[in-house]
Amino acid sequence: MATHEFFVDMTCEGCSGAVTRVLKKIDVKFDIDLPNKKVFIESDKDSDVLLETLKKTGKTVTYIGTK
Amino acid sequence: MAQSGGLCSVTLTVEGMTCGSCVQTIEQQIGGLSGVIHIEVSLEQKNATVIFDPASHSPESLADAIEDMGFESDVTNASPTT
Repeated sequence: MATHEFFVDMTCEGCSGAVTRVLKKIDVKFDIDLPNKKVFIESDKDSDVLLETLKKTGKTVTYIGTK
Repeated sequence: MAQSGGLCSVTLTVEGMTCGSCVQTIEQQIGGLSGVIHIEVSLEQKNATVIFDPASHSPESLADAIEDMGFESDVTNASPTT
């Protein structure tokens, strides 16, 4: 299983909370690093699918790559 | 609101906002939907007031759109603007 790394422009717990909720909906394992504005998602899903999900929060999201 | 054309106004509760940037993203995302005329989000009152065209949205679909963004949202009141 690959771990995808994303940059998500989160500024507070409310932002990371929103990311948490959208990711819970698609049922993946993930880790949020708020100080570094990073989200690590462990999933077999296509990175584009994950990117779209993260973008639903309305924040700036960039795909960094697999770890 | 003195707009004709049967616009609706709804107040939605929004849970999970903690800062100004949360408010901004909601205003941008929901305000950018077609059929949404105006949106005002209050961090203090934890709600959003939306003026929208009932032909494109319902209060429920707006609440869903906010939920989709990762916040909890419920309809508190809906009324047609006259």
